[in-house]
Amino acid sequence: MNARIFALIVAMIGMLVASGIPASNGRGAPVPTLSIVSPTPNAVMGNGTPVAVVFAVTNFNLTEPGNGTSSPNSGHVDVFVDGALTAKASVNTIVLALPSGPHTIRLRLVTDNGSALNPDITASVAVMATRGPAGGTPGLSIVFPREGALVGTDSTLSFRVTNFVLVAPGGPAGVPNEGHLLVRLDNAPYAVLTDDAPLHLNLKDGPHTVTLQLVDNEGGPLNSNVTASLHVTVQALLGRVTPFDATPYLALANLLIGLGILAALYRKLEAR
Amino acid sequence: MKPQPSPANQHPEVRRFSTILALIALMSLLGVSLSSSTAVAAAPSLTIVSPADGAVVANGTPVLVDFLVLNFAIVQPGRVGQIGSPMEGHANVFLDAQYARLLTSVEPFSLSLTSGAHTIRIQLVADNGTPLNPDVSASVGVVATHGPDGGAPRVKILSPTPLEATGHGIYVSYRIENFTLVEPRGQPNAPNEGHVQLLVGTDVVMEVIQYEPVLLVSLPEGDITIGVRLVNNDDTVLANPSASATVPIHVVASSAVSLPLVSNGGVALLLAFILIVLILRRRKLAARDANARGGNP
Repeated sequence: MNARIFALIVAMIGMLVASGIPASNGRGAPVPTLSIVSPTPNAVMGNGTPVAVVFAVTNFNLTEPGNGTSSPNSGHVDVFVDGALTAKASVNTIVLALPSGPHTIRLRLVTDNGSALNPDITASVAVMATRGPAGGTPGLSIVFPREGALVGTDSTLSFRVTNFVLVAPGGPAGVPNEGHLLVRLDNAPYAVLTDDAPLHLNLKDGPHTVTLQLVDNEGGPLNSNVTASLHVTVQALLGRVTPFDATPYLALANLLIGLGILAALYRKLEAR
Repeated sequence: MKPQPSPANQHPEVRRFSTILALIALMSLLGVSLSSSTAVAAAPSLTIVSPADGAVVANGTPVLVDFLVLNFAIVQPGRVGQIGSPMEGHANVFLDAQYARLLTSVEPFSLSLTSGAHTIRIQLVADNGTPLNPDVSASVGVVATHGPDGGAPRVKILSPTPLEATGHGIYVSYRIENFTLVEPRGQPNAPNEGHVQLLVGTDVVMEVIQYEPVLLVSLPEGDITIGVRLVNNDDTVLANPSASATVPIHVVASSAVSLPLVSNGGVALLLAFILIVLILRRRKLAARDANARGGNP
């Protein structure tokens, strides 16, 4: 008789174990954990593309916010970007669009009603977003005119930037592979370029040096200074076909004829 | 009267019968077990339904990935009381070997792509994140572009017109079809995207990413050829002949250039005329005075 009772008790315990009740949200449930799988700390998110934050939880059931059942082992994830609540996630991946600059993404497990767990369970990761490429070394070259070229008063300078995106000045500091382009003419500041459009030059006659430099959002040189220089000589009316320019001779003739007129008038007055 | 077997003799028969029944039951259970184990043991499979391998993802849009999973339950990892099962887990998504998504449902998802070729791989993993044994994954290669999906890139010069007489600075306007202009940042080549090169003769004088007319200045005087061509991100010229266009023009000096010459010449003529008039009048007066003196000495 006792053996039958014992067997019955064992069987009931086995059924309970099999049904998973002991692992439910009871007081003995293990503490949930939260970790960020991707991106890795201090990762650079390039090309202005959104960042996919992949996280893992244990001992926590992710549920759609507002399903009405709050328990310490179920709920969703609040997503904070730079301290501001940005999104709620009930799946293990959340995609965030980030502006250029450094950002801190913090995830927090919360119950269905939005209250934090006790103890608070969070995970953070710092990333850097840029509109430029995530990697590669910035490059700069002048396509036209060629070094040492003879150009006219009006000319156009065409250049090429690689692994770097030109944006308007004033963005956050320390963003890799984005900034603007400084133009110096004969070592004096000449222009600030924020796009790839060719630069129109209107220069005086003579030799000139044009220097292009990639700078960061604060106007400072990049870690490895990236510049390109060009020496040109400007000559007015370059390319004009003038087989015989009589202008100076006509000017001299005007002068002589004018003197002749004056002489004639003087003699006429003298004759009177 | 047939004698009844004694209970002692009945037991072996009962035992034999029971044994046969037990064997039958055991065989039945084994059969059921084997048949059910065949169903459970069906290997998980994963198929990427869309996009097709080698597909072009055009217009800079994200790619929508649709996939199919069989014999495997996709669930959220890390649930309370979760007991790992070989037929249950989740899916990891890798874009060019970079971790991109953790999928807990068999639903289409989108990925943002930069221009160029990419490989999307989906892998089924157990609840604890370890790959299945054998590995179950599927890959697809796609090419992303900001350009259109199809059509041959074309460019046509609208202005100047052939053999047009122009000044030394002109606007060149053109029309581009089936090609999207993007900043050349050293990114990989992609179909139907790139930038524009303008040529004077055979020299590239400008690289632009604009659809608006482009000003060319300081053109050499005489008969020259203006060219516009579409190039890839790495400056290679498209093989398609219609991706290049040229137009012959005649550059002449502008009126502003000849104005000093004309004005100086005009002033010289005027002054010369005045001088001649003064000289003639003086001679005429001198002759009149001489006649007057001759008639009345």
